[in-house]
Amino acid sequence: MITVKNLQKSFGKNQVLRGIDAEIKQGEVVVVIGPSGSGKSTFLRCLNRLEDVTGGEILFEGQPITDKKHNIDKTREKMGMVFQQFNLFPHKTVLDNITLAPTKLLGLSKSDADKRAETLLQSVGLADKKNAYPAQLSGGQKQRIAIVRALAMQPHVMLFDEPTSALDPEMVGEVLDVMKKLAEDGMTMVIVTHEMGFAREVGDRIVFMDGGVIVEEGTPEEVFGAPKNARTQDFLSKVL
Amino acid sequence: MLRLKRIIPMLLALLMLTLAVYPGHGQAQEQAAAGNSEKKTIVVGLSPDFAPYEFLMTVDGKSKIVGSDVMIAEEIAKDMGAELVISDMSFDSLIPALQSGRIDMIISGMTPTDERRQNVDFSDLYYTSRQVILTRADDVDKYKTMDALEGEEIGVQTGSIQEEIANGIPNAKVTAVKSISDVISLLTSDRVNAAVFEGPVAEAQVKNRPGIAIADAVPEDSDTPMAIAVQKGNTELVNQINGTLERLRATNAVDGFIQQANELNSGEKAPTNIFSFFWKYRGFYADGVKYTLLLSALGVLFGFLIGLIVALLRLSGVKILKWIAVAYTEVLRGTPMLVQLLIIHFGLASAFDIRFTVLQSGIITLSINSSAYLAEIFRAGIQGVDKGQMEAARSLGMPRGMAMRTIVIPQAIKSVLPAIGNEFVVIIKESSIVSFIGVADLMFQANAVRTLTYSGLYPLVIAAAIYLVMTLILSKLLNVFERRLSAGDNR
Repeated sequence: MITVKNLQKSFGKNQVLRGIDAEIKQGEVVVVIGPSGSGKSTFLRCLNRLEDVTGGEILFEGQPITDKKHNIDKTREKMGMVFQQFNLFPHKTVLDNITLAPTKLLGLSKSDADKRAETLLQSVGLADKKNAYPAQLSGGQKQRIAIVRALAMQPHVMLFDEPTSALDPEMVGEVLDVMKKLAEDGMTMVIVTHEMGFAREVGDRIVFMDGGVIVEEGTPEEVFGAPKNARTQDFLSKVL
Repeated sequence: MLRLKRIIPMLLALLMLTLAVYPGHGQAQEQAAAGNSEKKTIVVGLSPDFAPYEFLMTVDGKSKIVGSDVMIAEEIAKDMGAELVISDMSFDSLIPALQSGRIDMIISGMTPTDERRQNVDFSDLYYTSRQVILTRADDVDKYKTMDALEGEEIGVQTGSIQEEIANGIPNAKVTAVKSISDVISLLTSDRVNAAVFEGPVAEAQVKNRPGIAIADAVPEDSDTPMAIAVQKGNTELVNQINGTLERLRATNAVDGFIQQANELNSGEKAPTNIFSFFWKYRGFYADGVKYTLLLSALGVLFGFLIGLIVALLRLSGVKILKWIAVAYTEVLRGTPMLVQLLIIHFGLASAFDIRFTVLQSGIITLSINSSAYLAEIFRAGIQGVDKGQMEAARSLGMPRGMAMRTIVIPQAIKSVLPAIGNEFVVIIKESSIVSFIGVADLMFQANAVRTLTYSGLYPLVIAAAIYLVMTLILSKLLNVFERRLSAGDNR
């Protein structure tokens, strides 16, 4: 579904991604782990071109989205993204947060969009919050709404950028549960996270990044059970 | 909340409508004589604070420009078979207005000096008056001769023949102000000790205002002839005017006009209680408030839209657009609004033949001036919105413009609303500057009442009170609006 070829990204003189090749298949849950500064968030943000790439190529469903002429807005409609800081729209109600993009971009009627939003809210247990404003919600609730907002566009893939890192510990579980359910339903997901337990349980494939390259990848059993690379071993010994 | 595409045409329609509804395109005191509207018109410019030549009178609660010069103008119009339109402005705006073709002639007690002759053409003389020295009644004995005035502080009207006379007095410290009533205020408030005045004008002032008197000193060569000014090279009109003047001279009509005007100017008894004073002249203030509100409302609306566009240009990331936006804000914030107003109203007219009505010039000036300040406010607001908001909107597939419009700008405006409110209050106050070119706004009307009543304090205090009421109401409204917008912040 997503093919990454020799992806490079520099911020000024600082090269953050030094040639990444990756393949994300339909229905696959890929978890990207690695020490901070390893380039894993940048890698994720390059996938929907929130960061413009410096070199290399990304294909999404066969189309080269790194091409300058490519209409990235259309592609982003099919790639949901969830941020560390939730980034809900504070001036809009929960319902409006969710229905804004489907009505404006997909041409859904307001009532159809509302219906879709309410079904999704139900599935994450927040149906009663539809008229609340983001400021009235807890962190965990905000992140669940943010996931629903992305899902309302019926994306083909979901990108998660450290979705639980800004949460109080007691709220991490409720967000991970939603993500787990999503994975079980067959959603293609790319997740950058520090939650190793979750990665092990939900990930189909673990990608370990360090220094702007993919150092090691494999099934959770391979990477967590028997890491081959010394840097992987070193990282896992610190976080597990 | 910001549906620009729908709002802009609406605003334009609103503007057209208001400009159409407001009489005379906001030109102060354009009095058209009754008659066939098909008739050709002749526009005379004058500065009506020069009784008995031209001054304001209340007739049935409405102000009307009267005086001997007006009577002469009516005779000229009659001979031409044209309809007379009177355009009221400050004395020093008269010649620019004539040069830019906004008026056809000036009959405003104007003396044909060599300097003026370089800019306009004059008719034959129609009257010659003498000059006198006006002082406070207590000081009248101090100034028996002109020598006594040497080194003295003297008040005059800007751009007048009296200013030249005062400048000729050795070592005199001359203070020049905009209107005759300002000169009188200078005198009565001890800021100057003497003032140079046209004889009949001084007599009218002395008659109506206690505490001032005409001194014995008489300026040398003080005979000041008056003539009618027309655009340079317009010999046809000069000949036409000279014909009328000759007819009037045959019957000594001008002397009669001046006497008539002096009788008209017997002075209005203005109430001494400020509330009854206000009540008596409420019509003036009501008219003025209408224009002040119209100017401020449109100035704010267009300033808001232009400011937003400029802010977006500045943040567009395109170097040339950014540069244009920066230059725009810096120039408009770094130059006085009065200069901008005069350039737009007079400068454009004489250089490029772009003639805005006074109301249009006022609105344009207020709009672009406030847009520069609002642009900076918007920029701060937009930059203050968390980057994550734009990223979240883009990640959903929204194009940059849509994300800006629906997500970033509403939040930016909400956060800078108090600053915008301040700017709106500033505009209401600053709009008073348009009275300079003759928009009949609140300030203009306050000055008209001042001239009319010979009262220095009340007309201004009342104007100040009305400005205060308007700004307080606006602040209150903005508070309510702000509270409604902050609904999402309540936990």
